[in-house]
Amino acid sequence: MKRGYLYTVLFMVILSAVFTFALAASYEGFKPAINLNAALQRERAILYTFGLEEVLDNDEATRKFDEVIREGELAGIQVPVYEEDGQVMGYALPFEGAGLWGTIRGYLGLNAQRSEVTGLVFTEQNETPGLGGRIDEPQYKEQFRGLPISEGTAIRYGNSQGQQLDAVTGATQTSAAVLRILNSALEGLFTGEVD
Amino acid sequence: MAENPRAIIKRNLFGENQVLRQILGICSALAVTNTMRNSLVMGIGLSFVTALSSLTLSAMRNIIPHRIRMLVQTLVIAAYVIFLDLLLKAYLPDISKQLGPYVGLIITNCIIMGRAEAYAQQNPPVAAMLDGLFAGLGYTLVLMIISLIREVMGFGSVFGMDINFLKLQTWTIMIMPPAAFFIIGSLIWGLTARAQRKARKEERA
Repeated sequence: MKRGYLYTVLFMVILSAVFTFALAASYEGFKPAINLNAALQRERAILYTFGLEEVLDNDEATRKFDEVIREGELAGIQVPVYEEDGQVMGYALPFEGAGLWGTIRGYLGLNAQRSEVTGLVFTEQNETPGLGGRIDEPQYKEQFRGLPISEGTAIRYGNSQGQQLDAVTGATQTSAAVLRILNSALEGLFTGEVD
Repeated sequence: MAENPRAIIKRNLFGENQVLRQILGICSALAVTNTMRNSLVMGIGLSFVTALSSLTLSAMRNIIPHRIRMLVQTLVIAAYVIFLDLLLKAYLPDISKQLGPYVGLIITNCIIMGRAEAYAQQNPPVAAMLDGLFAGLGYTLVLMIISLIREVMGFGSVFGMDINFLKLQTWTIMIMPPAAFFIIGSLIWGLTARAQRKARKEERA
């Protein structure tokens, strides 16, 4: 069947309009759930860096978050601050940088004196599943708890002041990228004032 | 004239399996098959998109101007994929995070457009939907076989459940994409050899 150009153009315009409208409508419908998930993921991530997550369900996690975390400032950057009874217990330093495949984002929990890491969490990473992606497994992340840090000393793999830190086997590039990102986030942190 | 549903199912799962016989959808078959859970979600996602896009395109098959049919196919497929992506983000955030960019890449999966071009264009909506659904399930089946082999040999687990009591040495190569190449290659070889033997037997008979 032969049809004119006008029909072809009109058909495409109308079809595009219909589908765009349908997608926009479904996005509006899903948005509350999507935003809630994103907020919850962030709350859980921050709680995790302070070792507070345990086995909380979603409501408990949000309540705990509202109770002990407030937005504060550390060395000139906005960071979530962990407080208990008006006393600063730690900071969740956000970090971001290039991994092997994509951007790696997350939070590094520090104690109030900034002398120790309280925990590490990744909120976004696109490393090879099963290899670099294993940085997101407890086996790797948990090693960072209690890791001593100090001004002018970069975090490195191996044994530092009695604490062993291992890279992920088979994921040399990703493992190196993580430390590079963390060290550059920590750099300049020690020059600022404590909030 | 609609094809009978049983023929559609059998053809898509075995005889003309999209991955093993048509060699389509290979890129995602390599990328997501290192764990069974990801493969299953990817397979279900693809089946969902293929079924709905085939249904939609078949319903519109008489009013789509022929010269822009590929534009229309892409538009419809992309719309469903975005919808699926939103759905996963809203209700299965963990899986959405793990699959990451692969959900968006369903758009480029040749199986969907292949079914739209080869089948939905000439067939009624219900048959087209079945065809799309089972083409997707045929793909899922192959993905599950590959990921079973890869997960057992690479991680020593099945659906994330540890089966390390077997004390198997895990192979790093199985986690990496090349492993899927070897496995798909072997499967294609096996199936083709079988098809040829069958054809020869029929010739002689």
